[in-house]
Amino acid sequence: MTMTSNAVAPPLLAIEGLRAAYGKIEALKGVDLDIAAGEIVALIGANGAGKSTLMMSIFGKPPARAGRILFDGRDITALPAHRIARLRIAQSPEGRRIFPRMSVAENLQMGADATPGTTAERAASLERVLTLFPRLGERMTQRGGTLSGGEQQMLAIGRALMSRPRLLLLDEPSLGLAPLITRQIFNAIRTLNQEDRLTVLIVEQNANHALRLAHRGYVMVNGLITMSGGGLELLQRPEIRAAYLEGGRHG
Amino acid sequence: MATSAADRAIAPPGPGFAPILKKALLSALVALGLFALMIGVRTETGSTGQLTYWTRFGELAAMVGAVFAGSIVIELLRRWIGPAGSRGIVPPRVTEALGAAGRWIAPALLVFALLVPVIFYQQRYILDLGILVLTYVMLGWGLNIVVGLAGLLDLGYVAFYAVGAYSYALLAQSGLPFPQPADTFPYISVDFLKLGPWAFWVLLPVSGLLAAFWGMILGFPVLRLRGDYLAIVTLAFGEIIRLVILNWQDLTGGPNGISGIPRPSLFGIPLTPGPNGLAATLGIPFSPTHRLVFLFYLILILALLTNWVAIRLRRLPIGRAWEAMREDEVACRALGINITATKLSAFSIGAMFGGFAGAFFATRQGFISPESFTFQESALVLAIVVLGGMGSQLGVALAALTMIGGFELFRGLDQYRMLVFGIVMVLLMIWRPRGLVGHRAPSVFLHGRTTIAADMVKEGRG
Repeated sequence: MTMTSNAVAPPLLAIEGLRAAYGKIEALKGVDLDIAAGEIVALIGANGAGKSTLMMSIFGKPPARAGRILFDGRDITALPAHRIARLRIAQSPEGRRIFPRMSVAENLQMGADATPGTTAERAASLERVLTLFPRLGERMTQRGGTLSGGEQQMLAIGRALMSRPRLLLLDEPSLGLAPLITRQIFNAIRTLNQEDRLTVLIVEQNANHALRLAHRGYVMVNGLITMSGGGLELLQRPEIRAAYLEGGRHG
Repeated sequence: MATSAADRAIAPPGPGFAPILKKALLSALVALGLFALMIGVRTETGSTGQLTYWTRFGELAAMVGAVFAGSIVIELLRRWIGPAGSRGIVPPRVTEALGAAGRWIAPALLVFALLVPVIFYQQRYILDLGILVLTYVMLGWGLNIVVGLAGLLDLGYVAFYAVGAYSYALLAQSGLPFPQPADTFPYISVDFLKLGPWAFWVLLPVSGLLAAFWGMILGFPVLRLRGDYLAIVTLAFGEIIRLVILNWQDLTGGPNGISGIPRPSLFGIPLTPGPNGLAATLGIPFSPTHRLVFLFYLILILALLTNWVAIRLRRLPIGRAWEAMREDEVACRALGINITATKLSAFSIGAMFGGFAGAFFATRQGFISPESFTFQESALVLAIVVLGGMGSQLGVALAALTMIGGFELFRGLDQYRMLVFGIVMVLLMIWRPRGLVGHRAPSVFLHGRTTIAADMVKEGRG
């Protein structure tokens, strides 16, 4: 466990006893999770465990019924989504959700629009995105919908990066991608973390990849965190191997 | 059988005649089933109330035969033309030529529009028609902001047209309310300021603002609705406005409407035969055509203003947010776009132009009644936007020209006019499902695009 590091510096994102529901169905039943600055944290779990709900709840939809979400010490639980984004939390939603009829350039611009920034800052973040994913640079004028799945995922991450986030929320970046592309994308995330000190929360079903990438991991089952620990440490645990790696329920 | 179907799937212009024949036979069979009772047997009440019936196998055979032959013709045509939406409908050379022509259409149309009053000065009918077409062009461009850019299906756009028209008509007759200090309690009274010849110019923005306000009012309850549900609520909203106008007799005159609405002036100079009219001022003989020409240029300017604002907005963050919201609302929220503000701004700005058009309509007609603001108008404007290609400014203008102008052109067909209209719409939607101008031009060119694109373009971006 990394309790020591948490005790020293306050976490960048702290989720305390978060409950959220869709109508009567409670999806999050009191989740505690924290992310220190500069960390990659993986959230793994089976389908319907509530991983994506947690991700979306940070952005206020579905809203928290109980508990708090603190970003950099500030309570953001009740803030509207656009105010949360302005604090520089960026999200790459599940299923990529790029704008299919808009060009790659326009998609990237949309990522920059919601947060204030100077032209120079935007140019810098664009350059960063394009060095990270040179394929996007080749396709700037192409419509988003004509990109391949991997390129769309790159675009979704690139779009989120355009707002120069302090915290990046990634929902299932490996969904439906070939292993080679998945590796490229995970490498890009590692690069961002190492070179730009970007803090990342990554939600994944691909436990193997995610836990190898992450400093720490949380395991979610039925709306509750059941396990947490260092990424590689979790990967060694027999119950994790049984549930998420050796056949069984993952994917 | 299965293999022949598979063959056809692999090689689209299939070689054999068999699948066509099969399809035609199937269609004929369905037709036989459908028409056997509808056409084959004719029933009537006899003189004493008993059922009499007789068979009409000749007519039945003719119908089934027509379906059979028609199906073959359609299939052959389809092979000849190729499936809808595929390339090859139009040869590439023609497409290129059209593309080149496309760049000239907009300026050519604009020049033509500017010259219409000069060319057709003697033909009042053409001028009237031109004004009508331009009114719909303006309405189309206004609705295009809501439907085309923001993707919010609005079936009640005519409500804002009505709000604009009635705002202008009512305020022009009673004047603008201004608070005045008074000696007695409550120490303030309302004085109605008569605007005289300036009425139109003062009330045009007022009407637009009031319509925009009502756009907001509509926007709030539908913030969380999408697609079909949104369409139903906006449809109801349009009807509510119309019914309120119809029933609020004291204010709106109900079904009798409002007449004697002041005509517009050329910046204070009325277009009347009187001594201070425009003709007298310029020292030329008075002609009623002057007003038509003036109205024509007025609506042209208003329409171009709508167009200019829409084009400008599209390049600003708000316009991009509209388009992004049309594409994917969830993604917009994830990117931190304020959905509430984005939706309300689309509704209110679209409504504002509807209000401008309404004020123009009122001043042009001199008389308005609820009959001018039925659902048919909403449907017509929406059809213009959809036919034109959602979001395309040029497409909307072309569609308004074809729909309104074409409708007038086919006046000689009398009752078959609607039929021709319907057939043309169906054909257009088959061959151009994205509308006349379905192409969407990107509005963003990020800095550094060229430098980056230049050294990586080798791999091809096609």
